[in-house]
Amino acid sequence: MPKPLTVAVVAGAALLARRAMRRRIRISPLWPMPALEEPVSGRPRSRALRLLVAGRAEVAEGVVQLRLEGRDLPRWEPGAHLDLVLPSGLVRQYSLCGDPADTSSYTVATRLVEDGRGGSREVHEQLAEGMEIEVRGPRNRFPLVEAESYVFVAGGIGITPVLPMLRALPASADWRLLYCGRSRESMPFVAELEKLDRVTVVAGMPDLDALEVPEGAAVYCCGPEGLMAAVEERFPQVRLERFTPRAAAPGGAFELELRRSGRTLTVPADSTVLAAVRAELPNTLYSCEQGFCGTCQQRVLEGEVDHRDELLTDGERGDSMLICVSRARSERLVLDM
Amino acid sequence: MSNTQDRVHLQARKVSFSWDDTPLHWVPGDPFAAHTINVLHLLLPAGERWFVHVYRQVLPLIRDERLREDVIGFIGQEAMHSQAHDEVLPHLKELGLDPTPYTAQIDWFFEKLLGDRTLPPGRARRWWLMERVATIAAIEHYTAFLGNWVLNAEELDRRGADPTMLDLLRWHGAEEVEHRSVAFELFMHVDGGYRRRVRTWALAFATLVFLWQRGARFFMENDPTLVDGRASFKDFYVRGRRGVLPGTGDMLRSIPRYLSRSYHPSQEGCTEQAVAYLAQSPAALAAEKGAA
Repeated sequence: MPKPLTVAVVAGAALLARRAMRRRIRISPLWPMPALEEPVSGRPRSRALRLLVAGRAEVAEGVVQLRLEGRDLPRWEPGAHLDLVLPSGLVRQYSLCGDPADTSSYTVATRLVEDGRGGSREVHEQLAEGMEIEVRGPRNRFPLVEAESYVFVAGGIGITPVLPMLRALPASADWRLLYCGRSRESMPFVAELEKLDRVTVVAGMPDLDALEVPEGAAVYCCGPEGLMAAVEERFPQVRLERFTPRAAAPGGAFELELRRSGRTLTVPADSTVLAAVRAELPNTLYSCEQGFCGTCQQRVLEGEVDHRDELLTDGERGDSMLICVSRARSERLVLDM
Repeated sequence: MSNTQDRVHLQARKVSFSWDDTPLHWVPGDPFAAHTINVLHLLLPAGERWFVHVYRQVLPLIRDERLREDVIGFIGQEAMHSQAHDEVLPHLKELGLDPTPYTAQIDWFFEKLLGDRTLPPGRARRWWLMERVATIAAIEHYTAFLGNWVLNAEELDRRGADPTMLDLLRWHGAEEVEHRSVAFELFMHVDGGYRRRVRTWALAFATLVFLWQRGARFFMENDPTLVDGRASFKDFYVRGRRGVLPGTGDMLRSIPRYLSRSYHPSQEGCTEQAVAYLAQSPAALAAEKGAA
């Protein structure tokens, strides 16, 4: 039998502990579980939106600017692009060139490419004011970093991701822009930009040797392939925004190296990466085979990916892919498996 | 080992819901019932992501082709459930009830506390994996219980609950009923120890009760439209009697069933009903049309 005194002391201690706990919980109701600093749940994924083509204007020779209206649109950072799902089902990326603070509309501009893959022709010929269009994103793989100074090189329609960057930089920032194009008439926003004294406008191929790049400057380039290659050769640190695949027709066959298991195989045009890999490694994980469940995600070590899923975020797309639907954009792809 | 009568091919359905018109109190006039069910949106995104994470590690240990196929289907379905519930969270935030303080803790719970620990390969790592596989089997007993309940919760229809939310719950519930045997069969296949089954059930049940009441209180206290929102066990019991929430008695009766040595999930719920619901669920139908 415990002594009455012991019972009283234990009961008193229990009561005190209970009071302390209750007070603690009242002050912060979610005590005592820790939380993840960067929560994963509840972050909105890029969902598909249906927007109204509210404005359409030809802002330069062969360049059409579209204003797409919606409500409570996701915010975006300068450099971000939007996936447009065109009436034929083609998906094309276009840089956002409006005001990032505007949550009721997005602005994109596109140039008609005569011998292109058909996307720009569809925008130019089929998208009219009053139509609805499905978009995905926005996503950013061309983000504006913090740097001591900035050098932008834009060629023609490549000005679109740069424009919001210039607006976002503080007035004190040290930046310069080299803006080139075939002819002044074909360069969108040239009149607005020419007024700024940090902008050099050149019609024709610019003299890149004359371009001064200070130490520690961030270099950004967006434009035709030739221009980007030339800039990359002189300034290897350059950040590029590329919308057309570098080589290899998407959807075709390509070579696949599985580095950890030391195998190399060919993925035929009519087969998925998953099917080719499963023939070699039967224990490969997958489930839905349609690019939405995320089970088959694999790390990409080399090569450019043609992402065809709707699940992965920008960060994830940087170094991984869903092998059930996505393919290579380059001739060769190396996976960490 | 598997129950051949009920066998259906498990497949993930790519559903999507539009939450624009769903009110905060989607069971009209009964915020407590709505919020008690809303706790699902807090627990499931992180929880079902964790299921997938654990099952990815078990897959190589499966020696039965049919079970393997089931697990693959299970993984896809769970991944979709997690995403579907995750999409409700931004909507709750828009309605003025930010769930992030709570979900950040649940994220910690599943990603860190129950995540892959730094363990030496071999016995320790296998032990931790088996504990988690057994825990999932115990949790799946309750998801199947809840799925079966929501498929039959006609009282929610009578009270005019939001059709989109009901479709989410019933699509999810039907898939839970559809794949209710997988987690248990997987556990029996790779381990099957009775003591482990009881131990993990006790932990899972206590944790679920703890997290659930905590979530319901969190919602009631932070709901911007309620002046003095409170949640109590009595509220839960009363609504269970009315059929708006699962009955307390039913829940208690399901405990000895799981602990019985002759338990098999196929004794719970009805596959035909689940498949029948999936055949007419607006979200599942839209998914099928999209896939075709």
